[in-house]
Amino acid sequence: MRNDIALETIIEDYLQGKLTAEEAKAFEQLRLDDPVIDHRVVAHKVFLESLAQYGRVLSLKQQMDHAHARIDVAGLTEKMRPHPSFIVNLWRKNKSAVAIAASFLLLTIFSIYSIQHNTKQNGTYEVMRREITTIKNNQNKLVRTLNSAGPKVPKGLASSAKFGGTGFALTANGYLCTNYHVVRDADSVYVQNSKGESFKAKVAYRDVQYDIAILKIIDNSFTPLANPPYKLKKNSIGMGENVYTLGYPKDDVVLGEGYVSSKTGHGGDTTQYQVSIPINPGNSGGPLLDDQGNIIGLITAKENQVEGAAFAVKSKYILEALNAIPSDSLGKKAVFSKKNPLQGLSRTKQIDKIGKYVYMINVYN
Amino acid sequence: MSNKLSSSVPTDREVVLGILNNSEDALNRLYIGYFPMVLQFILNNNGDEDDAKDVYQEAIIVLYNKIRSGDFELSSKLKTYIYSVCRRIWLKKLTQQSKKINNLSDLEDVVAVEVDLEQHEEKELQFEKMGSALVSLGEPCKTIIQDFYINNLSMQDICEKFGYTNTDNVKTQKYKCLQRLKKLFFQS
Repeated sequence: MRNDIALETIIEDYLQGKLTAEEAKAFEQLRLDDPVIDHRVVAHKVFLESLAQYGRVLSLKQQMDHAHARIDVAGLTEKMRPHPSFIVNLWRKNKSAVAIAASFLLLTIFSIYSIQHNTKQNGTYEVMRREITTIKNNQNKLVRTLNSAGPKVPKGLASSAKFGGTGFALTANGYLCTNYHVVRDADSVYVQNSKGESFKAKVAYRDVQYDIAILKIIDNSFTPLANPPYKLKKNSIGMGENVYTLGYPKDDVVLGEGYVSSKTGHGGDTTQYQVSIPINPGNSGGPLLDDQGNIIGLITAKENQVEGAAFAVKSKYILEALNAIPSDSLGKKAVFSKKNPLQGLSRTKQIDKIGKYVYMINVYN
Repeated sequence: MSNKLSSSVPTDREVVLGILNNSEDALNRLYIGYFPMVLQFILNNNGDEDDAKDVYQEAIIVLYNKIRSGDFELSSKLKTYIYSVCRRIWLKKLTQQSKKINNLSDLEDVVAVEVDLEQHEEKELQFEKMGSALVSLGEPCKTIIQDFYINNLSMQDICEKFGYTNTDNVKTQKYKCLQRLKKLFFQS
């Protein structure tokens, strides 16, 4: 037994690394030579380890008990006990889900909001035909003029015009171009030139998509004009080009001047230009001309919340509309002439020549 | 001020370093920091505060063993880990008590901790065996063994504490005690 005690002491010293290098070497040799001793070393090591582990866990538990004593368990328990109310429980358990749902909702709303407000131009698209009856209180003169309009107005026509717009001659024999929306619900259409002469017209062609209508003067009193002095420009025009328009927002022709501010129209519509030009109800259907007197577009609408943003259908689509009409009935197609007689003339002279080809259009329904 | 600081929840890194350095302060802060979470979980799932204490302390032991074993990798947040371990332990206890569990209401994320818990159960078994072996060992053997192997007192200290005449007597006594303890431990 004394030997056993000595052996165990050596084993413990060996395991704790207390032996000197020589002793340790000798002992390792002994382990190699004697499997019984080796086994005792391993067994003792394992046992001591579990003993040490026991000690560690015990002290850990003591420390934790100590820490536990510092916690106000009763108070916490009271606070965290499952609440009798179902809703409070539901809220506690699903706090994170609710938070995620709420933030998702917010994000969605925000993105929809920003998409709507970023990709579209502010404001709405407002067509520029004149609702005469609604503004007659403000413009008594206008109503009077309309009621007693030129001597050529047929007698049967008692009511005043409902809508007014502008149009311009495409050919000498009485084809006019205007906006489809001007003549949309028309029962009858009368056109009036700058001299105040009124003629009955019919709608010869409608293009809803591009908002173009072609009118034909069918009145007997109409005498063919000279060829229109302007020409339709086929290719598109650059930004910044100075442009002007003639129209009938009131009973006399009015000049509006501006520049092309964008090559696309409302909401990026590529069939239109955006033009910075002052226009008013009644300007719809008016010609948009560049400095040389080429017709580059057809005034259609304006943005109602943006200052100076008007839209004009590109002249290319007027040409397309014109092509839809049998060419023999168009007569001499002066608008397609290569030569532009207005070129080089001053603005005043141009307007002087164009003026009689721009018509006020009155629509009754 | 210092009291306030020490009661705040420590960072995961602080805890790991603290455990490796045997820092009692780190343990206290860890313990106090995450106890409310576990308490709430147990209270919400048919338990009381004593259950919470038991489960929580077991979980901390699991964490300690894992960190001390050296192959600890923080693959999740410490909070999540502790919660997962507690959840698993509590689930097991509930099944043992054959209490009906419809749905464990979860309050936090959960990570897989099965492997860690298997190792822990083994160790827990050993711990209990050692505990009962020490109890049945009786005095003064129990204290001598604890003082020497756990509290790391020297032979000289033990000799004085128990009034032995010389350290050889203590050595003999300790040897006898250890032999008996081994027997008790491996028998049970």
